Amino acid sequence: MGAEQAWLLAAIPAGMFLVLALFGRYLPRKGDYLGVLAIGTSFVLFFFVLHDFLHAGGHAAILTSIDWSDVGNFHLRQGIYVDPITIVMLGVVTSVGLMVNIFSVGYMEGEARYYWFFAVLQLFVGSMLMLVLADNLLLVYMCWELMGLCSFLLIGFYWEKRSATEAAKKSFITTRIGDVGLLIGIILLWKATGTFNIQDIIHQAQAGQIGHTYLFVSVMFVFLGCMGKSAQIPFHVWLPDAMEGPTPVSALIHAATMVVAGVYLCARLLPLFEIADGAMLVVTIVGLVTAVLTGFMAIAQTDIKKVLAYSTIGQLGFMFVALGCGRPDVAMFHLMAHAFFKSLLFLGSGSVIHATHHNQEMDKLGGLWKKMPITGTTFLAGSLALAGVIPFAGFWSKDEILHATETWSGGWVFLLLSFAAILTAFYTTRLFIRTFMGQHMDDEVYEHTHESGFTMTFPLIFLGILSCIAGFVVWHGVGTALGFPGGITEFVYLHEPERYHFEWALLGASVLIFGIGIFSAAWLYWGNSTEKSTKLAEWNPGLYQLLVHNFYFDDLYQAVIDRGLLGFSYVVAWFDRYVVNDTGIDGSAQFTGYSGFIMKYLQSGRVPNYAMGMALGIVGLAIAGLVVRG
Amino acid sequence: MVPLSNYLVLSAIIFSLGAYGVLARRNAVLILFGVELMLNAVSLNFVAFAAYLDPDKITGAIFAVFVIIVAAAEVALALAIIIRLFRNRATANVDEVATLKW
Repeated sequence: MGAEQAWLLAAIPAGMFLVLALFGRYLPRKGDYLGVLAIGTSFVLFFFVLHDFLHAGGHAAILTSIDWSDVGNFHLRQGIYVDPITIVMLGVVTSVGLMVNIFSVGYMEGEARYYWFFAVLQLFVGSMLMLVLADNLLLVYMCWELMGLCSFLLIGFYWEKRSATEAAKKSFITTRIGDVGLLIGIILLWKATGTFNIQDIIHQAQAGQIGHTYLFVSVMFVFLGCMGKSAQIPFHVWLPDAMEGPTPVSALIHAATMVVAGVYLCARLLPLFEIADGAMLVVTIVGLVTAVLTGFMAIAQTDIKKVLAYSTIGQLGFMFVALGCGRPDVAMFHLMAHAFFKSLLFLGSGSVIHATHHNQEMDKLGGLWKKMPITGTTFLAGSLALAGVIPFAGFWSKDEILHATETWSGGWVFLLLSFAAILTAFYTTRLFIRTFMGQHMDDEVYEHTHESGFTMTFPLIFLGILSCIAGFVVWHGVGTALGFPGGITEFVYLHEPERYHFEWALLGASVLIFGIGIFSAAWLYWGNSTEKSTKLAEWNPGLYQLLVHNFYFDDLYQAVIDRGLLGFSYVVAWFDRYVVNDTGIDGSAQFTGYSGFIMKYLQSGRVPNYAMGMALGIVGLAIAGLVVRG
Repeated sequence: MVPLSNYLVLSAIIFSLGAYGVLARRNAVLILFGVELMLNAVSLNFVAFAAYLDPDKITGAIFAVFVIIVAAAEVALALAIIIRLFRNRATANVDEVATLKW
């Protein structure tokens, strides 16, 4: 199998969706092994694609396409496009997808609609794989929407719970606002170039065939879609609520599918962003604002999964900053590292939640490391990677992003991003200490806690190892040894491959960053005591409330919806009720009925009267005809 | 040759008689007679116009034949209704069968 058949990677899980959705409930074990098998096959096939791709030179894109539609002047070819970005994404999605599937076998055991969970999981992974393979924006948009649907179904998986259905609705509507922008952007680009093919659009833009303002506007619309999907401020509100879904789904959404689609699309279309003046600055600022603000939001959360959710949004902000600096390689590197350690952290928190019988409040946890050694140790590896401690995966990628910010002169991007990194290290340390270290907060919860089974610990160990070592692919030697030449920054690039250089100054800065973050958090929370942090909260209650309420974003939106949208809706509803319905529809019917009621008394029932009426009518018509004709 | 106007005047007289019969009479059978007279007046018009305007063709005559056939069918139906009416109500006076209204 060669890279031309890479579409099989997406087709196998998508096909398995049909099998599981239709027959899953009749199969033994509800077909969960089929789900693992399908994604496992994709994972194995990925290596064939990788081998073939490297064999073909390792940089040139591989294309295959078929005629899809040919109507009049409209020609549409659908196909796949495999380049280094695609390869990285394929590897991340298949590996994380496989681990999440294996984990789900243990985590979801005994749940209602077990087969349906696995079926939608297949479709989710399949559509993400197709999205990264697509060579044209139309196919991208189709997969984009499919993922929106899958996330809706999975976030609302426990639809008996009202909060789950609300969260599913919220995520769908919030991302939908961005999706409309994406659709407008795609149509604008199509109008200007006459094609949906991404590479053709880029070539035409590079040849200067699209006006600058026009390109800027259409690129901004596309970026709106990226912001919605990747939960960047101000669209971030759906992601923390998406925690209502089963925890493996959170791992999948946050690491492999859904939110990284925005980063991927932005990286894929980065040449367009570069040509459009100012677009890169917008991307950088959005990423920067998101990274800093969500860092603050994560500090005050007490729900394990919510801390991780805000941290995901922040890390996506890091990736957008890297993209804004014109470094898709660094963004992809951080995406990969983040996918490994964030899915690990989510699966680890899933293991905790499973073990403590659905307790995810840090106020009731603590000291779990002794009870859950494997989960605790792997969670520590993931936390260190997220905090950016050398030599874990997050260190190398975060370092590279900080390094990339030198594109923007003045150092303000570097300073703000460093601050966001300090916040990251802080809340990560807080999360780990309050969950796994020190004293336990709730005796009853602590007593019942136990280590999870093999299907759940295996993915943790696998991802834990990756979180430790994945960062080294940035080194020239390691990359070459693994098979792809020259480390990730020479594998994925926009214009010129860049050799990774180790810098002592940057290492020092990074050590300072994670050092400040970790030690301040450790000083505050060591031994899982909330004494000092409570004092801190009392010292400035206004600020604390601001953080607990996440800068009142949700309240602001709620107010806008309540006052603005609902007010407008009331007017429209009133118009519909009284003008359209009562006056227009019911009114005309009532008028007809009432006039018929009155006029029926004109009927005498006597034949000569009717005959006279007819005769007079004909005479009247004849006279009228004569008058009209003149 | 008899001028066209003669036919038209005759036709108008027959039509008016028929119309009067339909409007003034109360007996259902006589109303039917009136209708038949009106139909025949129209047939006469057809034939007369056809003979004067386009003598080579017999379009008007064919129309007249059609009218006669339809009239025959109509009479058969109408008489059947009148017989049923008479059997049920013992009258053929249309003023006395005015109950089919609101």
